Formats: sequence, structure tokens, C-alpha cells
Amino acid sequence: MTEAVLRILPRRGRRWLAPLAWAALLLGACLGMEALEGPLRWVEPDSREVIYARADFLTLLGRHLLVVGVAALAAVVIGVGAAVAVTRRAGRDFLPLVAQLASMGQTFPPVAVLALAVPVLGFGTLPIIVALLLYGLLPIVRNTLAGLEGIDPGVREAARGMGMTGGQLLRQVELPLAAPVILAGIRTSVTINIATAAIGATVGASNLGDPIISGIVNGNTAYVLQGALVIGLLALTVDSVFARLRPAGQG
Amino acid sequence: MIELIHVTKRFGATTAVDDISLRVEPGELCVLVGTSGCGKSTTLRMINRLIEHSDGEIHIDGQQIRAFREEALRRRMGYAIQSTGLFPHWTVARNIGLVPRLLKWPTPRVRERVEELMALLGLPPAEFADKYPRQLSGGQAQRVGVARALAADPDILLMDEPFGALDPITRETLQEELRALQARLGKTIVFVTHDMDEALRLADRLVVMDQGRIRQQGHPLTLLREPADDFVASLLGGEDRGLKEAALLPVSERMLPLSPRLLPRERVAQTATLREALAIMLWRHAERLTVVDDEDIPIGELSLRRLVGARAND
Repeated sequence: MTEAVLRILPRRGRRWLAPLAWAALLLGACLGMEALEGPLRWVEPDSREVIYARADFLTLLGRHLLVVGVAALAAVVIGVGAAVAVTRRAGRDFLPLVAQLASMGQTFPPVAVLALAVPVLGFGTLPIIVALLLYGLLPIVRNTLAGLEGIDPGVREAARGMGMTGGQLLRQVELPLAAPVILAGIRTSVTINIATAAIGATVGASNLGDPIISGIVNGNTAYVLQGALVIGLLALTVDSVFARLRPAGQG
Repeated sequence: MIELIHVTKRFGATTAVDDISLRVEPGELCVLVGTSGCGKSTTLRMINRLIEHSDGEIHIDGQQIRAFREEALRRRMGYAIQSTGLFPHWTVARNIGLVPRLLKWPTPRVRERVEELMALLGLPPAEFADKYPRQLSGGQAQRVGVARALAADPDILLMDEPFGALDPITRETLQEELRALQARLGKTIVFVTHDMDEALRLADRLVVMDQGRIRQQGHPLTLLREPADDFVASLLGGEDRGLKEAALLPVSERMLPLSPRLLPRERVAQTATLREALAIMLWRHAERLTVVDDEDIPIGELSLRRLVGARAND
């Protein structure tokens, strides 16, 4: 069976096999949660309902992805931007400060960020995006800094000595060379935030955290399990996509 | 032509380069030599403004270097460094074509130029064009570095210990090739090294630096024969200077015409250095050698007395 699938897929497509498999499992879980009614009933024999039905899992998945996606995008723009800025000659002085701030962002628990953000930003999606953004910044800043600092100084010296402008050096040399390390940072950040986003459900951001929070509130372990299962599969899918991303030109 | 006029570079309180004046004529290979920290690399990097000089003036072909935009200035000069600085994510061909592309040459012209340079530096394009720097040996990588420096056909080439990290055999090969290349292309080259043998082998003008100052400059033979002070003498090899001088002089310099006497059995090429001739004499226990031309035809002879520079004929 596996071999048959492998033969159908073009060679280039094979490395996407694992992400596709995880994505299929994820979709399967979202669409066919009823199929798990048996085992879930066994976990939670006393409850009337064992399948979370207040919202459609696909909708929750979509909202979850949106929150994580927006937060990740903002974290990438801010994180990579800040790291690039403080490795330029003009911004060197701010390097320790930025490194410190990014570390603090991660020591500050997202729940606390939520608690502080709600009075300012109100309930809903915005506070969780802010919390995720702050929480996800560190791995991106740290890895971008490491990636840029890890470039052989000779390469930078030659590039400047050959007459590349700062922008050309950054776009054509530094970012491509640091890309694998930066990508690894984004991967860590996004994967952590897929799990962390679930707490958004406590402040009214409807996402895959809903079944978990609702399960905890109502003492229904089956709900918790369903939310955890879908979130876990989502994290695995996204992580395996990242594992296969390779910057162009680096075989 | 490169001209440094009373150039000084200060880093905070320390003076790295202290009031140096230097003139490198077109087509001249000028070697800056000295111990580490003597300011030779700083001097080199001031010429392409990787380091800005604090005082004095630097001129390129009669124009102040500050009259150019930094990038424009650098694109007019080749730059080769010890670590090569090849871009690891680019192929050899793309690395070599860097400056022409920065200068917006049309693609076919860049490709043509890259192939020309690869051939010039003994890197067959078919074999090397698509390789990545990590797949090259040290010597090959340095050839690519030199090819890249030459790519836009600059008049001036700046080289910062380009052969410093290579094994002695590869280093010597590349030194010879650089000499040959220089004879053919007539570039104005400023070359930094701490290896005195390399300096002597390459230089038209040798500049000895110490503590940010030029101690002495001139033709290598002049410095060997008339060192300005003890420091220059010891840097040039102290008692070994005789051998170093012999390594710079060709046999033809001291050879005598063929005498009616029986030709000595041991032979030496007229293009060999006196040092090589001496080595043959020592090795073969011979006091006289037959000097031969390229086709191995005897054209003269060399005795030990002549070799060591005794004036009288024997």
C-alpha cells in the first residue's frame, strides 16, 4: 500500500508525505469526531454528551489557525525586524536591550499577559493575539540574532569589500545564510503558540481551547480530550511542515 | 596609482597607523609586511574605505577616495582576503560574477567573463562552475577568491594575506601564478602578508611596517642589502639575508661565458635562482656548474666563487 502511494507521488512530493498524513488525521478528527464516541463514552460514562457539539471543530480550527497565524506573522515581522535592526552598525547599542526584552517576553506567563490585556483591550481575540505575540517573540529574536551573528565574518567583510550595499548584503547574503536558523526559531514559536492559544478561550476568544475550557468547567474529561487531540494534531501538522521547509538554494 | 599622503588612523586613544606616506605606481606589486598589529591590514582596508582614515589623504588615480561613493570605490578595486569570504550559499560561478552583477553587466557578458576567469585561474568551468565553496580545497577556494576579485577587471587589487591559510606547496604555486598573472595583466596590487619569504618573492616594492609606521620601503634587494635599522634587518631574516637575496637573483646574473675548460657535469638552468644553484652545489659537492638554457644547451658556467659574489674572475 505504502509503496503504491510512493509510486504515484512525484519524487519531489515525497517529502511532503508526513505533513499530508498529519493533515489528513487532523481533518479526520475535526470531521469525524463522532467515530470516537465509543472510547470517549468509556472515559466519561456519566455525562449525557461526550461529543463537543457547541461549535463545529472545523470552525474552531479555522479560528485557532487565524489567531496563531496573525500572532506569528506579527512576531516574525517584529522579531526579525528588531534582530536585523540591532545587528546593523547604527543599532548595535540596542542589541543587549532587545535581547533582554525578548527574554522577558517569554518569562512573563501568557495567562498573566491575558489578565493584564483584557482590561485594556477588552475580551475576545485581540488580547490572546497580543499574549501570543509577546510569548512567541523570544525564539524568533534569539534565533535571528544567532543566525546573523553566526555568519562567518569573512563573508561579511568580503561582501562589503566587493562593494555590496547594506541592503544587498542583508538580502542576498545575511538573510539567506541565517534562514535555516531563523526558520527553526519561527517553528519553535509557532508550535508553542498553537498550544498556548488554547487559553484564549478563557477570555472569550473562541478557538480549539473552547472544548478544553468547557470540559474543565463542566467536569467533562471527554471534551478536554477532544480539544487536546485536535490541538495536538494541529501542532504536529504545522511542525512537520516546518521540518520540511528548506530555504531555496540550500540543498 | 595609489597614493597615501601623511595618513593616520586612530582608534580611540590608540594610533594604529601613524603618519604614513606611500606611493604605489601603476602595475606595481607593493607588499606591506610586518608583525601582527603593525597596521598593515588597517592600511590596506583604508584604501577601500572598509576603515576610514582619520588624517591625511588617500588618492586613487589622482582622486581623493572620499570623492567616491564607498560602494562605487570598492567595485573599482578587487579585494581578496585570507578566509576567502566566498558566499557559502552561492555556486563558484555566481560568486565570481558578484561584482559584474553589482555593476549591472548584462547576463551573457557576466557569464562570458566568469568562464574567462575560471580558465585563467585553472578552474575548468565544466568541473567547477556549479560547485559550492564547501566542496573546494583551500587552494581552489582561494583561486575562486582571486577570480572574484579580478572579475570586473579592476585596475587595483587589494589582497590581505590571501595565501596565509594554505599549505606551503599550494601557497608557492599560487604565489607563482600571481606573479605570472601580474606580468600579464599589469594590475596595481597592494598585498599584505607577515610571511617574509612570500613578501620577498612577490614584491616590486617592499614596505616594512612596525607600530603603525613605515620603517623602510623600496625594492626587496635594496632592503636586503641596505636595511635602514636593526629591526628591518632582523625582520628580513638577520644572517639569513644572504640566502634570501640569493633566492631573488637568477643564475644568469652571475654566470660566466663558457670557458675552454671541460664542462662541469652538474647543470643548472639559467632561470634558476642563485639559491637553487647553491643548493645543487652543496648537494652534489660541486664547485662549478654548467648553466643551460631552456633547451638544456650549455650557455655558460657558474663557480662557487662567482656565486658568492667574489669579483675576481677565475
